[in-house]
Amino acid sequence: MNVAGADRNRQLVTVGIGAMLTLVMSAVLILGFRLATQMRASVTGLQTASMLQTYPDAISQQLNSLRDRLEARAYAGQALADLKVTVKRFDHELEQLGAGGYLQSAELDQALLLWHQYTPVVEPVVNFTGQAYVDSDDAGSAFSKEGRAHYADVKRAQLFATENARRLQQQLATVATTLQQTSSDGAARLRTLLLSGVLAALVLAGAAAYFQFTRARHERAAKEAQDQTRDILKTVREGFFLLDADYNIGSVWSEALTRMFSRQDFAGLGFEDLLKGLVPPTTLSTAMKYIKLLWGERAHENLMKSINPLGQLEITMDNGHGGKETRYLQFDFHRVMGPKGIKHVLCAVGDITSSVLLAKELQESQESANAQLDMMLGMMHVDPLQLNSFLDSTETGLQLINAILKEPARADSEFRKKLNGLFRELHSIKGEASALNLMSIAHRVHSLEDMVSELKKKAELSGNDFLPMVLKLDDLMAHLRGVREMASRLTALKDTAPAAAAVTAAATVAPARAAKQAAAHEQRSQQGRSGDDLSPTLHSMAERLAHDHRKRFKLTINGFAEVPGSYIATVKDCVIQMLRNSAVHGIEASDIRKAHTKDDVGAVRVDFRRSGDGYELVFEDDGAGISPDALKAAAVRKQIITEQEAAGMDTRAAMALIFRPGFSTQEEVSMDAGRGVGMDVVARSVYALGGKIGVSTNPGKFTRFKIVLPAAEAPSSTAVA
Amino acid sequence: MNAASGKVMNANGKKSFKLMIVDDSNIMRRRIERSNQFEELELVGTAGNGLEAIEMFKKMDPDVVTMDLTMPQMDGIECISKLVVMKPAVRILVISALADKATAVDAMEKGANGFLNKPFTDRQLNEAIADLMR
Repeated sequence: MNVAGADRNRQLVTVGIGAMLTLVMSAVLILGFRLATQMRASVTGLQTASMLQTYPDAISQQLNSLRDRLEARAYAGQALADLKVTVKRFDHELEQLGAGGYLQSAELDQALLLWHQYTPVVEPVVNFTGQAYVDSDDAGSAFSKEGRAHYADVKRAQLFATENARRLQQQLATVATTLQQTSSDGAARLRTLLLSGVLAALVLAGAAAYFQFTRARHERAAKEAQDQTRDILKTVREGFFLLDADYNIGSVWSEALTRMFSRQDFAGLGFEDLLKGLVPPTTLSTAMKYIKLLWGERAHENLMKSINPLGQLEITMDNGHGGKETRYLQFDFHRVMGPKGIKHVLCAVGDITSSVLLAKELQESQESANAQLDMMLGMMHVDPLQLNSFLDSTETGLQLINAILKEPARADSEFRKKLNGLFRELHSIKGEASALNLMSIAHRVHSLEDMVSELKKKAELSGNDFLPMVLKLDDLMAHLRGVREMASRLTALKDTAPAAAAVTAAATVAPARAAKQAAAHEQRSQQGRSGDDLSPTLHSMAERLAHDHRKRFKLTINGFAEVPGSYIATVKDCVIQMLRNSAVHGIEASDIRKAHTKDDVGAVRVDFRRSGDGYELVFEDDGAGISPDALKAAAVRKQIITEQEAAGMDTRAAMALIFRPGFSTQEEVSMDAGRGVGMDVVARSVYALGGKIGVSTNPGKFTRFKIVLPAAEAPSSTAVA
Repeated sequence: MNAASGKVMNANGKKSFKLMIVDDSNIMRRRIERSNQFEELELVGTAGNGLEAIEMFKKMDPDVVTMDLTMPQMDGIECISKLVVMKPAVRILVISALADKATAVDAMEKGANGFLNKPFTDRQLNEAIADLMR
């Protein structure tokens, strides 16, 4: 609907009708004025004509009187004077009537003609100036010569006047009648004219009323439309606004924007100012480039839609309670075309936070389901006894961690001590979990380690800093319970499968019972447990490490059957740590190995054998070896030693650095290296058993760790926990 | 901006556009060449990086260019801005594995006329080219 066009048309019609009616009214007034003037002239003429009717008689009588006077030789001067006045006045009035212009009738012409016939007869009489009488003593008064002529003139004039007075009078009466008729016609015309004037005025008033009415109706409709628009903009859940060519927001926008952006001043606001502070500068600059492209007509709508960088915009804003809140907004842009190209860009903003979060949740649950599946598959490859033993030791470890967390602490040093304790426990749990390929557990422990690392960086520590860790620990414990539950189900499954063939009665085994069975099984095997059980775990870990670090190496394990039960845990922890070191630092990438004319598949060898009274474990890889200078540089970087100390160190002292707590040459923290916990734990656990550890290396050729352990005591419950 | 201004007559007397393919992958160049279903689009040259593209452009004066973004020596974005200066009427379709919208917006800002993500189907490519020549 083109409202502006309709309005213009209505205005034109109003002005046209108004002008026409004004013209009509003016014409009526002018005509009326002219008519009134004419009527006034007619009335004056009528009066004159009526008065003139008496003159012919008067002239006739005055001539009679003059003749009588002359016949009686009486004084005739007065009579002549009266006649003169009458004739002159009549002549004058009649001329006036004719010259007035308001009467151009044949009747008047006739009257004038008749009067002009009077002139030759009356003129000699009124022009007489001589002495009519001659006085003598004998004869008294007698006519003078000119008196006699004068008398003759008078007599002739008197006769003429008597003869014609009636005709002239009638003629003047006719003139009067005509004049009367004229003024009567004029009056009728004036009446008609006034009537039409009144009618025109009425039409004008009617037209004005009609336009007033339609205008009011249009205004009402416009107001209603405005109200409806306002209601829509108030209610709609999307934010709507128009952008002009200067990228400013128009004066009309929907209420939803207020909720989305927590502001009110949208009218005239620049699009850039709307987003400033809510999105990173790079996103803002891309958004502005995009808006500029929208105004150019080079790219069509579909293409512009497909490259819309604001399709899912993450914005961070104050939540009104002092905190920050993240929302996801979707901006859609549509060009609004006018006759001269793009007129506006319509922008629709939707708050898609809930759907984005839902999608994230879905993805997370999908990932967790996948992780569970992976874990289950992983668990199926792990020996149930090993798994149970891991779960037991992990639970003990977590209890220890819990105890450390609960330990009262005030001073910063106490907090730091706590952190170090937490770190060692977590690291050893992570190592075992990785070795068993239980990555869901390993990742959780890794993120706990991350939290500890973050805390270590903090300048001042308080009890509150540890609270998030407690939550995370709860989560980990719940996860462990889940793993245990799954493990017992798996055990039940494994147990029942062969059992079903042999014992038909016990076809199904409840998980709880299965767990008990597994526990009993484990206890049974505790006495006769051998180090051979470790080999599959270490091989699977080696495979994972090789895959994760894109290295190729072969692990060879010898003599693990000799490992006494009480040393199994320590041997496992140590080999896992050394294996990690080899995979991360030792074994080079295949191309580097080839470049150094080495076999592109690395070799890692672990030998365990009796030696004298005790045992000897040798771990060797044919990797890059350890450079004492690199060790010293890393130790300086980690501020474990000073540069002076480093300078004073011989090779032997430098090599000993790897057993220092907190030492790592790795800059990036990964699942397998970089925390600086590792070889110090190995060394500590070896020392704890009364053993020794040594390292020898040849840079570019090999690294060899040698661990010497004393003769084992009888296995005890603490040793396997 | 009318690509028709660059029209020439080919041997069959049909109106045609000259096409240049710029991509550092030989496989991708052949893939684009094979997928092209437009009779009026005649391949006049290929280039493996931005510098080669500019040389080829000067020699062959193509009307339509498909442009990879990540290339050695001179990347696609820089190349686009140079081609547009040389021939404002040229129509450029960016074909890139970089899926982020900011890259697309950058390319469009520099003067590209279309954007297609790798991997693509024959249909998608032909639709994108059709849009380009419209």
